[in-house]
Amino acid sequence: MTAKPNDNDIVRIDFQFRRELAEKVEGDLASFCYQCGACVGDCPATRYSNRFNPREIMLKVLYGLGDELLGEGSVLWDCVNCYNCHERCPQQVKPVEVIISLKNMLADRGRAPDAVGKVIKTFEESGRTVPYNPAIDKQRARYGLPPLADVPMGEIRKLIEPAADEGGAQ
Amino acid sequence: MKRFAFFPGCLIPARHPAMEFAIRHTLPRLGIEIVDLAGASCCPDPIYFKSKDKVSWLAVAARNLTLAEDLGLDIFTNCSGCTATLSETYHLLHEDPELKEQVNRRLERIGRHYRGTTRIRHIATLVRDEVGYDAVRESVVRPLDGLRVAIHYGCHLLKPSRIMQVDNPDNPEVMERLVQALGATPVRHRNWYLCCGKACQSEDIPSNMMHDLLSTVNDVHADLLGMICPTCFGQFDHGQLKISREFNESFSTPPVYYFQLLAFAQGVPFDDLGFERQRFKPDCLRRFESAEAAVS
Repeated sequence: MTAKPNDNDIVRIDFQFRRELAEKVEGDLASFCYQCGACVGDCPATRYSNRFNPREIMLKVLYGLGDELLGEGSVLWDCVNCYNCHERCPQQVKPVEVIISLKNMLADRGRAPDAVGKVIKTFEESGRTVPYNPAIDKQRARYGLPPLADVPMGEIRKLIEPAADEGGAQ
Repeated sequence: MKRFAFFPGCLIPARHPAMEFAIRHTLPRLGIEIVDLAGASCCPDPIYFKSKDKVSWLAVAARNLTLAEDLGLDIFTNCSGCTATLSETYHLLHEDPELKEQVNRRLERIGRHYRGTTRIRHIATLVRDEVGYDAVRESVVRPLDGLRVAIHYGCHLLKPSRIMQVDNPDNPEVMERLVQALGATPVRHRNWYLCCGKACQSEDIPSNMMHDLLSTVNDVHADLLGMICPTCFGQFDHGQLKISREFNESFSTPPVYYFQLLAFAQGVPFDDLGFERQRFKPDCLRRFESAEAAVS
């Protein structure tokens, strides 16, 4: 009689995680990853880090290991967003886009780093990523430039309100 | 004059108005008429707001594109980040009709509709394709002979190339040719292709990467760093001081945004170009002014 396999050795794919990721724009592209590693060779974050590896991130997505990617201090924020992986991938997986979709899931869970959250908040409040301050218009005047133009915030607020049928964690 | 809608974004108008001044000064001299886009917002940025919610990011970007569609004009951008957001939006909504419909349902809330009729041109390619290198050269009254410029392309101008459609990311030439048109000499250092690291939330990755990059800039003895992205610019201005302190080495090659360099070559006085606000000032340019004074 052969020994029963140890239940702990079996990889259990978390399909709920994969379905949630697939709801995000281009989140389902990881399905086409065949783990060739073309993204790794040209990844500056991999070159300068001992924990960031886009091929491993795609593998965790394929296995549905959401817990390893969606915790506090996630490795995903180490991505430099250079788009080399997007350029190199023979399968058009666009690893950087999958990573950004995973960041959307982190944001749904309230887990964006403070520095990232701060810029997002500035945009949501002012329609710009640089906070307004009267010194800006004074500087602009020195070069004969008009004050910064108004952003119609009413329109921006309406646009960034998620629709009920668009998914997300809630 | 060829007319284009100008999408200035956030960083250049708010943090670097001298760059905007230089664009508004130089383009009309090259036959480009700048049309301002009333009601534009942040593109939105391809790093922070995109990482919150891609659908909202696309909806705001598509709204910005509809402003130019209303005018029947193509858009030009002066920031690689804005170029990335707007070009990706154009590309994604073109490839995926369902997504386009989803974005248009958002736009319905404000009575707008995205059609996909406006193309996005980065200012460097606008000058290359609509003006041409020769016309740039002819606009120069103060050739920058002997000036060695180490070009930093940055990432989003070139990649992903099938979306950005700017140049070959493995061996681009647009910035080299634009720098040559000013009479200057582009110098390519060994780590020219590295990223500035601004978008990375780790401390170590950007520091070590910038240290490697700046070391090879020092190796080629460049007079200036030729910049085309305002985000990279910050990393190379204040950033060089930070790296010098961290590694106890000296990195001090002044970064200059290309259109300020062009404005200077077209005769704008050094002192009118806002260089005094930089951490590392391109004082090496002053020799071209004193040479003129000596001749006249």
